[in-house]
Amino acid sequence: MKPHILPPEPMTNEAITSRLTNTVIDNINKGLIKKKNLVYLELNGCSGNIISLLNGQNPDFEYTLNSMVNIRYCNSLMASEGEQAIEKLMNTLDEDYILAVEGAVALRNNGLYNVIGSWQGKPLTGLQAATMFGEKASHILAVGACATHGGVSAAKPNPSQSVGLQKVLPQKKMIKLPGCPVHPDWFLGTLAHLLLYGEPETDNMDRPLMFYSSLIHDRCPRRPFFDRGIFAEKLGDKTCLFKLGCRGPVTRVDCPTRQWNGHVNWPIGDDTPCIGCAQFGFPDAMAPFISYDTTKVVKNE
Amino acid sequence: MSRKIIINPLTRISGFMEIDVTIENNQVIEAKTKGNLFRGFEQMLVGRNPFDAVYFTQRICGICSAAHSMASSLALEDALNIKPMEQGRYLRDIIHCCEFLQNHIRHFYQYTVPDFVKIEQNPLLLSDHDDFRLPKAINDRISQHYFDSLPISRLAHQMLAVLGGKAPHNHGVFIGGISTQATAEKVVHIDSILQKVTQFIDEKMIPDVYDIAHYYQEYFHLGKGYGNLLTYGSFNNYKDLGTLYVDPLVSKNGSLETFDEKKIQEKIDYSWYTSKKSTNQPSEAVTEPDMDKEKAYSWVKAPRYDHLPFEVGPLARLILSGEYDNRISAMDRTIARAIEAKKIAEIMKILLQQIIPGVDVQKKYELPEIAAGRGLVDTTRGALGHWLEIKEKKLSFYQIITPSTWDFSTRDNNGYRGVAEEALIGTPIQNPDKPAEIGRILRSFDPCMSCATHVYSPGRQVKTIKVF
Repeated sequence: MKPHILPPEPMTNEAITSRLTNTVIDNINKGLIKKKNLVYLELNGCSGNIISLLNGQNPDFEYTLNSMVNIRYCNSLMASEGEQAIEKLMNTLDEDYILAVEGAVALRNNGLYNVIGSWQGKPLTGLQAATMFGEKASHILAVGACATHGGVSAAKPNPSQSVGLQKVLPQKKMIKLPGCPVHPDWFLGTLAHLLLYGEPETDNMDRPLMFYSSLIHDRCPRRPFFDRGIFAEKLGDKTCLFKLGCRGPVTRVDCPTRQWNGHVNWPIGDDTPCIGCAQFGFPDAMAPFISYDTTKVVKNE
Repeated sequence: MSRKIIINPLTRISGFMEIDVTIENNQVIEAKTKGNLFRGFEQMLVGRNPFDAVYFTQRICGICSAAHSMASSLALEDALNIKPMEQGRYLRDIIHCCEFLQNHIRHFYQYTVPDFVKIEQNPLLLSDHDDFRLPKAINDRISQHYFDSLPISRLAHQMLAVLGGKAPHNHGVFIGGISTQATAEKVVHIDSILQKVTQFIDEKMIPDVYDIAHYYQEYFHLGKGYGNLLTYGSFNNYKDLGTLYVDPLVSKNGSLETFDEKKIQEKIDYSWYTSKKSTNQPSEAVTEPDMDKEKAYSWVKAPRYDHLPFEVGPLARLILSGEYDNRISAMDRTIARAIEAKKIAEIMKILLQQIIPGVDVQKKYELPEIAAGRGLVDTTRGALGHWLEIKEKKLSFYQIITPSTWDFSTRDNNGYRGVAEEALIGTPIQNPDKPAEIGRILRSFDPCMSCATHVYSPGRQVKTIKVF
């Protein structure tokens, strides 16, 4: 019997994420892992993250829904409505669940700028739901820029006084997945890791290293243009977009190798600068997104 | 004996909505739709770099973000006095088509189907009411299509990303049309996906809609509203192609009129805002949030055209384009969305055939010191308008009137309700403890807002049920 020599396994991000997920599904099917409950709260935001998760391909959302977790609450997708829906949400409090939150927490007027339902005749604010469910969750995922640090919902002058999830749960450990929206792989890959091996290794900002470790700039296919000082003057150019305001040099995430929507394209592939949507401080710290002034005049600062 | 029903949250919409209805003898006699989320985009945009509005305003909505990039780019082109090349318009409109397809497929299968179809594969997708009428074979087929539709809507977003970089929140739509250039490879990539999506719409989605309609005939008589229709025009006014869908047009009290944008006003009598006066032109005052205002009950304002509430969206467009009989109801709205998906796929095919690879439509743009512009465009849910002003090369004013603001407005000082509120009046409710009718009628408008919902009956105890 000759030993078989297997070809080396591909080490791309996509291949690793998909191996992780397939292992989870295999183990769930074999009964080695128990399906966990997932509570998905949408707070003050645009619900763009749940739409992005529907775009997941590797694993796809159907798998997640049917094989990885029991989604117990999700405003965008659940069939129940009104009191019955909130009742299903409240019932999870007595069980073990993973909490995923998208959107910011609106603090103004005691949270009334974002009411997510009614419970026992009173408005249930995003603020109440975030604290109530955050306290009891076995793991917390802050999904997308609004949840990780306030994002666009908290952009100046922040009329709704929105904050990131950590601000209202200062003592709780949470995994932060910044991005606007989150890439489905970042969320589903993190979830797969949680189910298989527990919490993934994170950096000092609570971001999983497997997705958020290197700067976009360091893996950008246009890096050679930067190194040689060849810069785009307008959108649509094929050279380095740094002088148009590209935030690749300050944004840690794997867009250049992972790409979006089934790995077909990404902002720089579309001849536009990265706007740093996966970096803390987005959007205000990343503005202006697009600037044609390649020379800056600083006024009285 | 009247009774109040509150649904909070109305799930399976984009964002949050609460609906309060009063019923007497099991008929709706009063209704209030409440938008319960406020972020204040119009205030946030003041002082920002005008170019940033194209990407910033997309964050208003996760399911129809490209719509805002369209309106924002059009408003900036108006302000900067830029006439985009036709190639730029075609490519931008192809991105917009992709969003229509993604939205209409998701809205029908993920948002609407659970109202009528008993999906037993997953407890999350099973409705609480007991008004399921489809024969088992049809019910099971459409349940399976719920899952089959997911890769299709995902592919619609993939097409969008091929030209737009990513979805949601694309980077491609911009002043001048599009940021990048078409290549043969991209055109073929999109065309091959478009074939699959078109096939799905023809073979599954449209038959599924008609099957549901067949077993829920009374919905052809429910949810009419005021019957006034408005469109800003859609895929129209091309230099060589003319109008592929519909020009700007209104139907007021049953007769067609040309559209005049000067007749648009926004009222805030019943909304949580203050302003110098309670009726404004879109290019006038920005309102301040004020939750202590008496009478007010929603974050949604009340846009009016010629002082009347108007319905916008796929049904309005199809009727105004002459492609659908002038019948307005909840079921007609749902059918229209599916028919429109087919129509949009056909338009997209025509636009794809016009594409010349390698045309660069981008320039280096200069910002004026002072300018004003507006962008009016019909999007997935209907008429969308952005109005902006630039001072010292910064945004000094931004106003947005979204389609759902038209359909889900509050009442106004002339006693008119919002379109969706009016659509509920007179609806018979079979089972007030589990009303299926209200959600079905409201979802037929494809609301995109933020609110919350529950069915509340005074004195009724909620039982806590352990679910393992």
